[in-house]
Amino acid sequence: MSQESTRSEPAVSNDVDVDANATKDEDEDVMVQVRDLRTYYEGGGLFGGTPVKAVDGVSFDIKRGETLGLVGESGCGKTTLGRTLVQLESATGGEILFDGADATELSGAELEEWRRNAQIVFQDPDSSLNDRMTVGEIVREPLDVHDWKTPRERRQRVRELLDTVGLQREHYYRYPHQFSGGQRQRIGIARTLTLEPEFIVLDEPVSALDVSVQAEVINLLEDLQDEFGLTYLFIAHDLSVVRHICDRVAVMYLGHIMELGPTEELFTDPANPYTHSLLSAIPEPDPTVEKERITLHGTPPNPRHPPDGCPFSTRCPARIRPDQYEHLDNELWTRINTLREVLRERERADRTVTDRIREMLGKDPRFGTVGEIFDELFGDQQVPEDVETVLDQVADHVRKNDEATALEILFEAFGSVCESEPPAYYTVSDSGRQSFCHRHDEGYRAPDRVLDERHRQQ
Amino acid sequence: MSDSYDEFDDTTLRERIEANPRPALLWALGVLVLLALEIGRVAAGIIRVGESARFALGGIMSIPATIEESVAGTLGAGAGTIAFLLMALVLLVIAAIVVKWLFVPVSLVKRLDIDRGVGTNDVLERALITAVLGVFALLIVATPLGSAVEALIDGVTRGLEAVNSIQPITSRETIPNEGYRTGDGGWEGTFLGLSPAWAWALRVAVVYTYAIVWLVWLWKGYEIFREHYREADWTPRDDSINRLRNHYWGLFGFVVVFLFIVMALWAQPLSPVTAEANLYSPYEHEFQYYDDGSLETITHGTANVQTRSQGGDSNVGLMSYDQYDRFAPFGTNQDGKDMFTFLAYGARVSLVVGVLATGLMAGIATALALMTAYYKGLLDLVTVVVSDSVISMPRFLIVLLLSVLFMQANHPIAAIYDGGILLALIFAGTGWPGLWRAVRGPSLQVAEQEWVDAARSYGQTPAATMRKHMSPYIAGYMLVYASLTLGGVIIGVAALSFLGFGINPPTPEWGRAVDEGRPYVSTASWHIATLPGILVVLVVTGFNALGDGIRDAIDPESETSEGDAGAAATGGGG
Ligand code: SF4
Repeated sequence: MSQESTRSEPAVSNDVDVDANATKDEDEDVMVQVRDLRTYYEGGGLFGGTPVKAVDGVSFDIKRGETLGLVGESGCGKTTLGRTLVQLESATGGEILFDGADATELSGAELEEWRRNAQIVFQDPDSSLNDRMTVGEIVREPLDVHDWKTPRERRQRVRELLDTVGLQREHYYRYPHQFSGGQRQRIGIARTLTLEPEFIVLDEPVSALDVSVQAEVINLLEDLQDEFGLTYLFIAHDLSVVRHICDRVAVMYLGHIMELGPTEELFTDPANPYTHSLLSAIPEPDPTVEKERITLHGTPPNPRHPPDGCPFSTRCPARIRPDQYEHLDNELWTRINTLREVLRERERADRTVTDRIREMLGKDPRFGTVGEIFDELFGDQQVPEDVETVLDQVADHVRKNDEATALEILFEAFGSVCESEPPAYYTVSDSGRQSFCHRHDEGYRAPDRVLDERHRQQ
Repeated sequence: MSDSYDEFDDTTLRERIEANPRPALLWALGVLVLLALEIGRVAAGIIRVGESARFALGGIMSIPATIEESVAGTLGAGAGTIAFLLMALVLLVIAAIVVKWLFVPVSLVKRLDIDRGVGTNDVLERALITAVLGVFALLIVATPLGSAVEALIDGVTRGLEAVNSIQPITSRETIPNEGYRTGDGGWEGTFLGLSPAWAWALRVAVVYTYAIVWLVWLWKGYEIFREHYREADWTPRDDSINRLRNHYWGLFGFVVVFLFIVMALWAQPLSPVTAEANLYSPYEHEFQYYDDGSLETITHGTANVQTRSQGGDSNVGLMSYDQYDRFAPFGTNQDGKDMFTFLAYGARVSLVVGVLATGLMAGIATALALMTAYYKGLLDLVTVVVSDSVISMPRFLIVLLLSVLFMQANHPIAAIYDGGILLALIFAGTGWPGLWRAVRGPSLQVAEQEWVDAARSYGQTPAATMRKHMSPYIAGYMLVYASLTLGGVIIGVAALSFLGFGINPPTPEWGRAVDEGRPYVSTASWHIATLPGILVVLVVTGFNALGDGIRDAIDPESETSEGDAGAAATGGGG
């Protein structure tokens, strides 16, 4: 394989990049600038409807030659973000500046030409290779599309690439069926390399593979990065892989980036409450270490109807509470949260004519009666007097199907800036790490202290 | 690794054949021998194709002149000329796009180094080809080159015509079966003095042997290619073919369909008498027979009157001679015409209408399925609405209505092939929604595959993506449903003709034979309706069986639940 690396053009550009990287000239060598990027999916059907806000205003930079990790639970919008970066989804708003030029503005032939520079490796190697074509045809297709040199040179290049990704030249005339998952992923990687892109989005490239071959593919990706000076956006939900391969990490939740910073720093000393929760889910290799376990309650909200303030506010374990409730029992606090989610859900749901009739008849099977809900939530709880009063008021309004007022009362009593205003990005370390949380503001206690206090005692 | 480099260096198919020419040459020799045996028929075929191509081209080329005329009539001569030029340009551009798509795989713009940036390159490319075509067209119209080309075509045609007169091995002249019995019981005019029955049987045997040899030789060619020239050791298609080879129900279908197609293609030599003489213009063709010691001459028409099968005493049944010593393997029909000839030519009509209708339907359905699955959205919605409206109409009634309408109006289309083309068009127009629906699921599924996204990510064009990455996955399903549909169209045409619409006499059609033979089913002339009825059932079953076989071959998963699938298919068919 070593003789491959003597190929001239990539090697040269490679050197340049390595130098740039070595000098750590942070501000200078930005390759991709993403500014306030939004990707919404139109609500299905003819009548529009509320769009799904898969990516809802993210901004970050990717530096030349680095690997930026993008982590988050499934459905947080990380894959959509990756696909938008390579223009497989069209952005609803914002900019993606590649070396200063906005990729979201391109269309037609210009876009086709631009695509050479930004490629994507897909998650599932079973689905990303066309089974009816030989490996050679698959890897060669990008060259055919861009009418690269002569057909003979194309075939030569494909063979070299197969070699580069650790397959054999003879595999040219095999079909994808004849390969294992890891090998298929190598084929997919070879295909992304054909056009010599500078930037590659890796969309969970190893999560569909056997654990035994994951490491091999990861190593291959690292080797290729060194050899060709590639810039990666590495999307993953496996945090240990991210910690291993990425220079910087962005943590995503519900279409927003919650925290972004150098990998090691972020893993050892997370700033954002969401990062805390995410990291606390990783099993600690050393069992003697006493570790806080933060359990997240509920599921992420529907991205069609994200919360008004901080996207994480519905589940955040460090959410800012009004002073008088600061020491409310955690369990009760969670129940109140759940109540709020139920009410939000009820407020959105349209009542059909049948529902209204059932209501008039005193049947309300869709959500359960108000009494049932409150029983379920607070039946087994020690509810302090002041909270009780608020809950009674809320229940009254819900019975009158006036969820809006009920929610308002709930917010008056238990709400805070977390639910009313989206936070800003605060720089939380010398390395320029950013975190999206009100608690970094002067007036509030920092997230880690609050989490310690609220969750250590349990 | 550098050592193994050359070994796996790529070669084109031609180079691979040059490296090892023996198997390929042997096979090509076989093809030549087979062609030489039927050289007359091949030449006739080429002439016919050439003529229709010329006819079509002439039609297209007259468009600008026609438009010029109509525009000049209303807006004056100047406008007419402009319209003429514009139309000619439009035609040239269309031709250029087709030529580029079919014959020019490389980018001329890049080869000529006149790159003008990505946006204009495509246009430039088309413009270049248009210009070349335009110059070519001008040369032909305005210079002696035109007459030279004309002369060349004439020469080739004449050559082909000369070849055409060479007797093919399967021709009725090589093995004649029409003759008369002399007083001493021998036969005059037949092949080697055999009885007409045996001479006819021999000719049938020769035709089918010839066709089977072709089939075997083509298979052999595939095997030679696979063994000596194909670079992949294994392809997914190999598995499908192996599965089909062990699928007996599918093989049965294949055999039936093969017999049917050969019958349609070689209808002329397979019939005991020619259709021209016996069906179309019986009063213009004479033949001789021996009657009471003297040789008599009679027209087919006059003789047919005496050989009608109408039950009772007047009947010419299966495998029998009529009183004029004509051999009728399937008897005669109620008009005294030869049933076998009628059925063989009827097979041709069914095949032409069936294939044309199904081909059109499958083409429309595939194109729509690909586009709706790729683009979704509004296009999908419109197609759903249109196809639902077409499906919601009672199909057979619509077909009936349209065919009656066109025929009563004496529309020119209804005249082609005695309404056959019209029927094919009507069936295609009403049938595509069904096929589209059938492949909509699979095409939506394949459009969701990541390799389609991958193709988009490196800039593949939508058309190429649909062709390379989506259509192969639909083609299998399409083949299955098309073979089922083909059976349906054959039944439909037969049913229409049975009702007295559809294909008009004298063009033979199976359904009409069933209709006309109906009154005699309970008499001695039962064969008139029964035989074509059996044939329709057999052929349609054959197409269904073949479709089942192909489905199981391309979709191995269906094999596991074969029992259920088979039961469902029979249930649905019944
Ligand atoms: S802003 Fe509030 S809800 Fe959001 S992460 Fe910070 S503390 Fe939690």
